[in-house]
Amino acid sequence: MDPDRRRLGPQALARLRAPWPDRRAERLLGAVSLTVGLLVLAMIAFVAVHAWPTFQHNGISWLGSGGSVATQFETMQQTTSHVPASVYHLRVWPLLYGTLLTTVLAVALGLVLAVFSSIFIVELAPARLRAVVVPVVRLLASVPSVVYGLLGVLVLVPFVGNHLITGSEKASVQNTVQLTGYSLLVAVVILTIMITPIMIALICEALAAVPNAWREGAIALGVNPLRAILAVSVRAVRPAIVAAAVLATARALGESIMISMVSGGNAFTPNLAHGLPIFLFEPLRTFASTIVDFREGISAPALGSSLYAIALLLLFSAFVLSLGGYLIKLPLRRHQVRG
Amino acid sequence: MHRLRRLSLGLAVAGALGVAAPVAASAATTITISGATASYPLVQLLAQKYSKVHPHKVKFKIAQGGSTVGVNDVAAGRVTIGDVSRDPLFTASESGLVFYPIAKYAICVITNKSNAVANLTEPQLVSIFTGKTRTWSGVSGASASGTIDLISRSSVAGVLTSFQTLLLEGKKVASIGSEQASDGLAKQAVENDPNAIGFVSSYQSDKGGVNAVSVGGVACRRSTAVSGQYPGVARFYEVTKGKATGAASAFIGWIEKSPAARKIIATQWIPIEGG
Repeated sequence: MDPDRRRLGPQALARLRAPWPDRRAERLLGAVSLTVGLLVLAMIAFVAVHAWPTFQHNGISWLGSGGSVATQFETMQQTTSHVPASVYHLRVWPLLYGTLLTTVLAVALGLVLAVFSSIFIVELAPARLRAVVVPVVRLLASVPSVVYGLLGVLVLVPFVGNHLITGSEKASVQNTVQLTGYSLLVAVVILTIMITPIMIALICEALAAVPNAWREGAIALGVNPLRAILAVSVRAVRPAIVAAAVLATARALGESIMISMVSGGNAFTPNLAHGLPIFLFEPLRTFASTIVDFREGISAPALGSSLYAIALLLLFSAFVLSLGGYLIKLPLRRHQVRG
Repeated sequence: MHRLRRLSLGLAVAGALGVAAPVAASAATTITISGATASYPLVQLLAQKYSKVHPHKVKFKIAQGGSTVGVNDVAAGRVTIGDVSRDPLFTASESGLVFYPIAKYAICVITNKSNAVANLTEPQLVSIFTGKTRTWSGVSGASASGTIDLISRSSVAGVLTSFQTLLLEGKKVASIGSEQASDGLAKQAVENDPNAIGFVSSYQSDKGGVNAVSVGGVACRRSTAVSGQYPGVARFYEVTKGKATGAASAFIGWIEKSPAARKIIATQWIPIEGG
């Protein structure tokens, strides 16, 4: 022990300040990480136990279609004591469809945007511009989703409702669904804006790590520069692109409050048969936004169990996503550049 | 490691404070309330006044969520009092609950300011809200044209149930209506959409910004509701599990008996007669 330390105060204080033996620190840190692991397990077990009645009564056809989700939830909400098995009846296809639709569209759109803007930022943009764009992208990636939701509901939804949707479009589906601006379009546009910056940040870092010599080699062999970027740099960062897509998909799947604010809160299934612009103007509901919309009704046992079942499905899809991302990346690893 | 130790000491202190704070706060009894969004403004005013009259005795925690949420929460013992804006349904889920009527309110049919429909008959209301009439051109007195945008409430709303019973001959609002989560949001939706029609408590429509439609020639106003001419008058209830006891009983008794509470109710709602 450092003798100078002892002068600072009484002996007890000095002992208090003395560095812990490394072994004890190791145990402490080990305990903390074990606790985190146990917490995750406990959470999954808790959700699964509460979700069980729903799966017990519906089986795998829970994921199928049939009836209106709104009516089924209403029945659940109005029965709180002596809940008969029939009340648990739920077919979540409209929610599954809404979730898939928003996620797939937003990630596909965002991935294209992210790859091309990353190429621009890393390979083509002048250094001064890059110095501004990169921090701005990072900032965008960390904006809370409720802010996007607010802008969506105050700006985009009224704009779409009052200027993009025409009277004849409204009239053509007036007996099936109301087009009010709360729509698939707004949900996908905002979701894309939300997830693209994360993807740009990840892909940019990977692109910047591609050795110059690789691309220069290609150019020396007579390939034009754009081609060299696409064939060499982008190819080399494929694992990073997959990682970005996985992260973005996870965020899109779990996005609840923003979707709940702009998508209309109607478990409608947007129908391509209505024609293309109308399809985009139709409302929908996703899994995550359903939990937000109905969280206050959770004291009704059947509804509570249904929400837990949705939560379990979201947990499961997060697991599948990270596993899938890992499996896709394996064969791509050979030429990878660490981002 | 010093930093680690200081960190853990900090955490311990924070934890101790976290445990201590609620203990200190629980000196006054807390009445928790959840439920109807339509009665929320009234219940909040009443709770404020009650706290002022009986300082340091009770604290209120008032959440919204909708009438059915209030019923479920109070039945599950999650809150002391449930707020409900419809009559009791006498279902198995509501057995064992006691409904105390605290005030009456009118449900007004509203349209956008730009579409000042003066009057609708009850058959017209039924036809519009059940989705049979889908365009404004089929409605006399409407200046809007094109599709009617139905603004409804989510299924937990007591105002929705009362509206269907009182003004729609018990029929249901069409499922294509966009479901709003609260009385205030329903008014907001009608205010923003020139083609919209909806229904809200008179408290919301009195705030202006929307056009209140007369029903069968009777305007939706406090005076017509008091006189009983207006057909869409429903009740707000405070609901407890079993008979109200303790602080909840005192609060509900105060609402029913005291002139101060009556005065608050009479500003924008209607006191229960003989109360």
